[in-house]
Amino acid sequence: MRFTIERRLEQPRWLAVAVPIGSLLFALVVAGVVLLVTGHDPISTYRQLFDAAFISSGALDQTLIAATPLAFTGLAAAAAFRMRLFNIGAEGQLYMGAIVGAAAGLYFGGRGGPSAFVIAAMVVAGCLGGMAWGSIPGVLRAFLGTSEILTSLMLNYVAAYILTYLIFQSESYWRQTTGFNAKVFPTGKPLPPDAIWPSWTLNAQGGIGIPLGALLAVLVAVVLWVLYRRMRFGFEVQVLGDSDGAARYAGVRTRRKILAVMAISGAIAGLGGVSQDGDFRHALDGDPNGLQKQAYGYTGIVVAALARYNPFACLVVAFLLGGLNNAGNALQGADFPSGLVGVIEGIILFSALGGELLVRHRVRISRTAHAPAATEPAQ
Amino acid sequence: MTKRKLALAAATLVIAAAAAVLALGTSPGSAKTASAFKAAWIYVGPHNDGGWSQAHDAGRLAVQNALGSKVQTTYKENIAVGSQFDQTVSSLRSQGYKLIFATSYGYVTPAIAAKYPDVKFEQATGTLVAKNVSEYFGAAEDTIYLSGMAAGAAAKCNTIGYVVAYPIPEVIRHANAFALGAQLTHPGIKVRLVWTNSWYDPPKEKRAAQSLHGAGACALGQNVDSPSTGQYAQSVGIPWVGYDSDASKFAPKSWLTASVYNWGEYYLKRVEAAMSGTWKPGFYYGTIADGFTKLAPYGPNVSAKTKGLIAAKQKVLAVNRGAEFTGPLYDQSGKLRIPAGKKMSVNQLYAMSWLVKGVIGSPKG
Repeated sequence: MRFTIERRLEQPRWLAVAVPIGSLLFALVVAGVVLLVTGHDPISTYRQLFDAAFISSGALDQTLIAATPLAFTGLAAAAAFRMRLFNIGAEGQLYMGAIVGAAAGLYFGGRGGPSAFVIAAMVVAGCLGGMAWGSIPGVLRAFLGTSEILTSLMLNYVAAYILTYLIFQSESYWRQTTGFNAKVFPTGKPLPPDAIWPSWTLNAQGGIGIPLGALLAVLVAVVLWVLYRRMRFGFEVQVLGDSDGAARYAGVRTRRKILAVMAISGAIAGLGGVSQDGDFRHALDGDPNGLQKQAYGYTGIVVAALARYNPFACLVVAFLLGGLNNAGNALQGADFPSGLVGVIEGIILFSALGGELLVRHRVRISRTAHAPAATEPAQ
Repeated sequence: MTKRKLALAAATLVIAAAAAVLALGTSPGSAKTASAFKAAWIYVGPHNDGGWSQAHDAGRLAVQNALGSKVQTTYKENIAVGSQFDQTVSSLRSQGYKLIFATSYGYVTPAIAAKYPDVKFEQATGTLVAKNVSEYFGAAEDTIYLSGMAAGAAAKCNTIGYVVAYPIPEVIRHANAFALGAQLTHPGIKVRLVWTNSWYDPPKEKRAAQSLHGAGACALGQNVDSPSTGQYAQSVGIPWVGYDSDASKFAPKSWLTASVYNWGEYYLKRVEAAMSGTWKPGFYYGTIADGFTKLAPYGPNVSAKTKGLIAAKQKVLAVNRGAEFTGPLYDQSGKLRIPAGKKMSVNQLYAMSWLVKGVIGSPKG
């Protein structure tokens, strides 16, 4: 017997549905074995996971909080990866969006102007912050041919140090400096009330808050879809992604596209950052044990890959991963090690990503060339 | 084609069935021990980090052992400040945990306290006292000072390395206490700092220890949560002072002692108060006299003479909390900060942003 993996010439539609479902079932079975071995009841564990993610009181509210940043970073990654431009820097671009966006909120807020204007200024500032940070690897790639993977990754660390510096190591504009509490532990200056983003509450499960950021993420997905599916720009980007040479031959200006796509990708990640300020933290979160520990930017890469760079699928995947994330916190405890939660989450993600291979490729089982019948054992 | 449709239909059916089983079977929380009082602890690092979080978990277990089946306790580890803490509180609350010990600063914000008015929060090391928020901590600086005396006496050169987490008053105060203690037994000794910007990051802590040793330190101390500083100290054969928990087993040859916490008594008192309905928000600052903070057992390299000196000083501190922060105290530049005879108040200690003379490093990280 010989296994070969070959590319599918055509990808049947039903596969796109069956494979993710199959992967999930496979993951649940494998994780179930791990759970059994470690002395936990798989069914009740899965039920708890599902409960904590979507069913119990406050679950959807928290899942949305976890999903919103992942939607942004997922869309940011999808926008760039579609062109085979591997922007690993959503993490840093998100920090920069949070920094610049918070500055706008602190500056324009509390002056008696309309709240909508303050929030709009924050949105623009957040996008600009992320865009600027994303454009650095963009320019380096476009003009010097530097690998954007390395430069965008390295800039994540720089952005993290800047973020920590602003709150912990300097008396910056973003840091709260008055009051006794501020002396005891460094915190960001609270945003004025008119710079805090609204959220709409659904009366279910004891109140599900729909943050403005979640709605903006949906809007971004729509815009991206139109841009990539309905406009020349997106078409050119996709041609560039599929075949660099063909695109150049057709007269696509590669350099401009690289700059534009890195800027768009950075802006989306930056929007995710300012949504953290306005929607959830209500200040710039510079604590290395806070925003930086969440690694939203890196998880966004997984979101984009699972969504196969489709913007709407990014939203769905972000929601599911947000649920998984949220449920993980609920599951761990004195009788359930957090490491095991990580293992289960890892198995689910690994199978989901592994299953993708089967959508695009087929496994062919063929018998070896020499005398197959002779080597077969008697039935 | 029909085969494929069949496969699709079958797959959908399986998923639907699974979803139905999960959805129908949902019950709010677990049914067991419905009458037990539920209390939860939240840790910044792993519950068995060998330091800070482990000391808190020992406190949790003390509560569980003392009250047995009357309580149900759990913990959540590696929880980030911000959204993740919010998620954790929300899920704990829906499982019936209405008393939550958040064991690091920054977890409980006024917004969180207001969002969960029916949850009683207890936060270590902070200052936010509200209707449903208590704060607790203690004079670890006193015992850190004593452990500094052990480090000073054991150091065979003129520099001690001190691995520190964040450039915040809590850590600055502890580093100062350590340096003052070391200077008492080893006049003129310098304490050099390296910041890790993390409470718990074993590889970073090891690198910090390495660079301190490279910069001439012949003894090490720490204000971070893992024992990796000690493991490094033992690998190069120099003495080490730990923090938070008795971590002697990680580096028995290098181990001198450590300032350790006894959180259990406070936890027991607060859980009992919550159970009987007499819980009130407050600010607790434990002392040596309370048994809240003490020194861990000595390692083999602490001389009898040093033990005697420490014991004498411990008696003084037991009746005079914070005596080591009595003037004259000079900062790094030699400026007199606390005049002779004046003792720093708890509020002053909580906001201390300058390092004492003899400490090498910046209070800004």
